[in-house]
Amino acid sequence: MFAFTEASETRIEKILAKYPESRKVSALLPLLTLAQDQEGYITPEAMIEIGKRLDVSPAYVESVCTFYTMYYTKPVGKYVVKFCINISCHLNGCDNLMEYTARKLGIKEGETTPDKKFTLLKEECLAACCEAPVMQVNNKYHVNMTPEKVDQVLESCK
Amino acid sequence: MDTATQTDTVTLTIDGKTVTVPKGTVVVDAAKTVDIEIPVFCYHEKLGPFGCCRMCLVEVEKMPKMTTACTLTVGEGMVVKTNTEKVEKAQKGVLEFTLLNHPLDCPVCDKGGECPLQDNTFKFGPPDTRMDYNRFNRDKATPLSPVITIDRERCIACQRCTRYSDIIEKDQALVMRNRGFQNRVSTFNDQPYDTRFSGNVIDICPVGALTNTDFRFTARSWDLTNSSTLCGHCACNCNMTLGARLNEMKRITTRPNDLVDDGWICDKARWGYDFTKSKNRIAQPRKQGQVVAIQDACSEVVVSLKKIVEAHGPNSVGFIGSGYGLNEDLYSYQKLFREHIGTNNIDHKTYVDTPGLPVTHFDLLDVETSDLVVLIASDPTEELPILDLRLKKAVERQGTEMIVLNDQQTLMDKYAALSVRYNIGSDGALLAGLNAVLQGQSAGSDLESATGVASSQLQLVAEKIKTAGKVCVIYNPAALTGSAIHTLKQCLATAGGLAETAVGAIPAAPVTNAMGAMDMGVLPDCYPGGVPLSNSDAIKAKWGDTAPLEKGWSALEMIEKARSGELKALVVYRSNPVVDFPGGRNVEEALGKLDLLVVHDIMETETAKLAQVVLPSNGPGFDEGTTTNIGGRVQLRTKGLTTDNPADWKIVSMIAKELGQETAPKDVHAITAEIAEKVGGYQEIKRSAIRKEGKNRAVVPSSNGATASEEIATGDGLILRIADVLFSHDKILDAESNLAHQFQPSTVHLHASDANGLGVQEGDEVSVSGNGHEVKAEVRISNRCNPGGAVLPKVSDEQDVMSLAEAGKAISRVTIKK
Repeated sequence: MFAFTEASETRIEKILAKYPESRKVSALLPLLTLAQDQEGYITPEAMIEIGKRLDVSPAYVESVCTFYTMYYTKPVGKYVVKFCINISCHLNGCDNLMEYTARKLGIKEGETTPDKKFTLLKEECLAACCEAPVMQVNNKYHVNMTPEKVDQVLESCK
Repeated sequence: MDTATQTDTVTLTIDGKTVTVPKGTVVVDAAKTVDIEIPVFCYHEKLGPFGCCRMCLVEVEKMPKMTTACTLTVGEGMVVKTNTEKVEKAQKGVLEFTLLNHPLDCPVCDKGGECPLQDNTFKFGPPDTRMDYNRFNRDKATPLSPVITIDRERCIACQRCTRYSDIIEKDQALVMRNRGFQNRVSTFNDQPYDTRFSGNVIDICPVGALTNTDFRFTARSWDLTNSSTLCGHCACNCNMTLGARLNEMKRITTRPNDLVDDGWICDKARWGYDFTKSKNRIAQPRKQGQVVAIQDACSEVVVSLKKIVEAHGPNSVGFIGSGYGLNEDLYSYQKLFREHIGTNNIDHKTYVDTPGLPVTHFDLLDVETSDLVVLIASDPTEELPILDLRLKKAVERQGTEMIVLNDQQTLMDKYAALSVRYNIGSDGALLAGLNAVLQGQSAGSDLESATGVASSQLQLVAEKIKTAGKVCVIYNPAALTGSAIHTLKQCLATAGGLAETAVGAIPAAPVTNAMGAMDMGVLPDCYPGGVPLSNSDAIKAKWGDTAPLEKGWSALEMIEKARSGELKALVVYRSNPVVDFPGGRNVEEALGKLDLLVVHDIMETETAKLAQVVLPSNGPGFDEGTTTNIGGRVQLRTKGLTTDNPADWKIVSMIAKELGQETAPKDVHAITAEIAEKVGGYQEIKRSAIRKEGKNRAVVPSSNGATASEEIATGDGLILRIADVLFSHDKILDAESNLAHQFQPSTVHLHASDANGLGVQEGDEVSVSGNGHEVKAEVRISNRCNPGGAVLPKVSDEQDVMSLAEAGKAISRVTIKK
């Protein structure tokens, strides 16, 4: 069973107040973010709950949720490591970095380490072409990446 | 006139041809009117502009870039080019892109031969692809529901199906998940997509991604013999195409008729056809359990009937028909009983209703053009599904307002501006109150205590009716109790007299041809065309001097008279009183006392088991004739399958011949012609006139009965409301039906306060008893009805819920025990 925490409920009240009643579906992304912050990922139960609050079908919630790569529908590690694989990063060797990181963590792209610390994902575009290749760890960008810098960043993840 | 033309239409040029179309038309549709084809995938005229597939790119003068013709509304003087080099290059490019990951498995694809992707590729596509890498492989055939298969790799992400789910069905059950080339059509959490209208996505899919599981690999589309026929389930009479091969039903597809179905059919229409090949069909005539030739069976009926009429008089014989018959069959039957037996013991229903309306009889299209729809005691979602879609469209897209008056919650409440929930059985009191308020009087001080509805709410309803320009009242006579129908008609007459408002009504009884049965005079007190028995001159002029003028027994009275021994012989046509009449097993006992019971039906029923003579009826798919839908529209139901058994009217004709009829009708169309001649309102109903989209029959004179004052007797227990269910497990949808996954368990819906009082909880298994019978049901605390009531959906024949109802009583009470 999914339930928003009391703190989340206070936030939801504020979020819903921003939109007119007939347009309350606009609160979908903030509510998904809240649910993910609370559980670490978005469960089907959370989607049902959000759908009920915003008067949309759970299928619609799922459709929006799966469109955005920053919403997770499966459990992820404490640190989510993402490599941009779009054209600039690709030309600057993101594939090698990805492979390097995967080997270092002992997992494949899309997997989570057994200690639940790291999840490795690819990302279509991180909108930072001028500093390619780019790696994102949780909400922080790391730019002009090299294998050495990857080592440093992963080292700093405690 | 000229100014109207200037403001309402737009003239433009497409490929040098001048086109004048209504304002607001999109270029794709405008081109169609002059036979110019602009290829599309995502565009569908019922879904509106979208522009995601890019297939319809055209050049428009003065526009710098090409534009999608499906999103471009016509403008005055616009010059559109669809066949330039630039457009052709774009079409080739789009198709090459669309086909990037498409498997091109046309030889083994069900859509092959009727596939827009295949057709467009042949007409507009590139000869080859420039891509030499492997296609992105996705799941092949996987079930989207028990009746729909999805081949994900064939999908071109046009989103027609998901938009259908959002815009037409309005439940957003089908959505696009993920993004980019990984996006896919899916339901929430990959649950089955099993809504009431899911099958329409198969018809609108422009590729072979969504296919009919039952039809898969059973025939190629070009090998099918297609017949333009009508659905034989509910009273909307949706148009559909029956595809048969080697005289076996293969599939049903939509055959759009905007005047009836708006281009859609429900899943019961699409998959509820297993009865055409069921082993439970009455395959051959039987006499005392022995298979006999049809001629022998008819002779047996005639000999027995003659004997009984001689001994006990014509009124010892009765006929119970049903709204499932065609006009021609019902007309023939009533004629047989009136002309050759001489009795008015003829009926087709267990509720009270009278022919005709005191206001205009609206057609289904009027629902959309009305300012206000008043829905009374009707649950379109379960009873008349296509009306459900039409109402949603009217409310959400045409700006129609809806008021719902019902004793139970329905899915329509969500779309209603005002929902009035009255106590079960208090419909007469409520409508009397509404009538008073419409006349400017008080609703009466005891309104609220009797109906559970505050008089202020009725004031609001009356106010809305008075201020709306066009009002469409839709009511289900079969769900009204006692003689409330008469009060409703008085109410209509009052509303019809309002100066500012144009009021019309749709009598929405759920059975296929319920309207036709009324019109054909399958009634104990009216001749065909709604001619009351009191109008003896008209009757004698049309039906001869010997036409019986004494009021006959209603269907329920006939059952009672069978019990008392006054009725000796009964012919039951396409009806199963043992299960479907109030009283259930009591009916069985009464029918057992008859000297002669003849059952003429499609399927083996509990009633047929009791019969001395059983006659086979062919039913939808095999039969041919006309039906009249709730909007009064008469349409032609043609046959798609053949059988050696004679048609229903033919059997009636064989009996009539032995009873002394001199001339037999040559074919069914001769009877259609006779109906046009003899039945008031049907003068214009000629086969040629109704072939295409049907035709409204003219007004049937209205007669209204007097309201009996019915006090709701106080008593123990909850007042019973039996609710219709679309996918009810009956004889037509049997256990082997494609729709068996839609069957529901037996449930009883209670108000929370009653459940508390009874000490029952959600999910509890209880026994519901009344009228000396008992039904097992699971408790749902749904507040579906007001306190003091219990709603039992009629989910199957086996459930036998009708046995709880007392025949002839306005209300029945039930007690609930854990």
